[in-house]
Amino acid sequence: MSFAEYFEFLPYGKYAFYIWFSYLITFGVIALLFIRTRTMRKDILKQLRIKYTRE
Amino acid sequence: MWKWIQAFASPQNFYQTSKKLIPWFLYPFIVLTVIGLYWGLVVSPPDYQQKDTVRIMYVHVPSAWMSLMIYVIMAIAGAIGLIWQIKLASVVAKVSAPIGAAFTFLALVTGSVWGKPMWGTWWAWDARLTSELILLFLYLAFISLNNAFDNPKTASKASAVLAIVGLVNIPIIYKSVEWWNSLHQGPSFSTQGVSMSDDMLIALLLMSTAFKFLYAALVLMRARTELLFREQNSRWVRETLMGVQK
Repeated sequence: MSFAEYFEFLPYGKYAFYIWFSYLITFGVIALLFIRTRTMRKDILKQLRIKYTRE
Repeated sequence: MWKWIQAFASPQNFYQTSKKLIPWFLYPFIVLTVIGLYWGLVVSPPDYQQKDTVRIMYVHVPSAWMSLMIYVIMAIAGAIGLIWQIKLASVVAKVSAPIGAAFTFLALVTGSVWGKPMWGTWWAWDARLTSELILLFLYLAFISLNNAFDNPKTASKASAVLAIVGLVNIPIIYKSVEWWNSLHQGPSFSTQGVSMSDDMLIALLLMSTAFKFLYAALVLMRARTELLFREQNSRWVRETLMGVQK
């Protein structure tokens, strides 16, 4: 039994693994892009505020 | 027109204007994605040959288009920054790179999981796949070169040159399925028309439009942060962050 066959209960049966994996990774990466955008902004703001307070 | 560009491209002005622009890209992205997912996963029919795996197209093809489009934008923005010394252009080039790299990665990975059930292999060293992989390396080289210098000006110049040279790869990717024998199918869009059903086309266009809005929103958000960092010694940044001091 191949790995992909474990996911046959999902919609699209024997292709379920390939299809759902594609969509999952796509929106996973998009989510990561947003998270990274946010953490980068927070880091820079924090860093600059510390710098300005010290000056 | 030129005056308008110059005014908008001034860091401070861009910082304020872009904040209002972001929702105009973010919400269409969300709405189009939801409709696009519904169309791609429910409405559109399975392909007569590829069955349901054709649904991978609705994330694979838009990702691949984005990977090319973002690279071209990045190279042009880099060139503008290099030639006319417009700071904002260099910033757009820099923040575009990780987004472009992410889409290139997605095009490769979703292509790979589409290849397995259809071609019987995850990967093949053929022209389309190899040139797309080279695109990923170009993005990574651009990112590391941009981070290799302490001075953002030098970093932007060096990486812009790299991006411009790397442009030769774009027509190669685009034409690879025509120039070489490839496992990858030929384009479905050509001067002869579109070779897919209407519902497939709608799903594809919805998702690819959604991704374009996504890119615009992400670039604006990231450019704002990068501008604050680059302009940290100017008064407007200090005042934006700490309030006006007397």
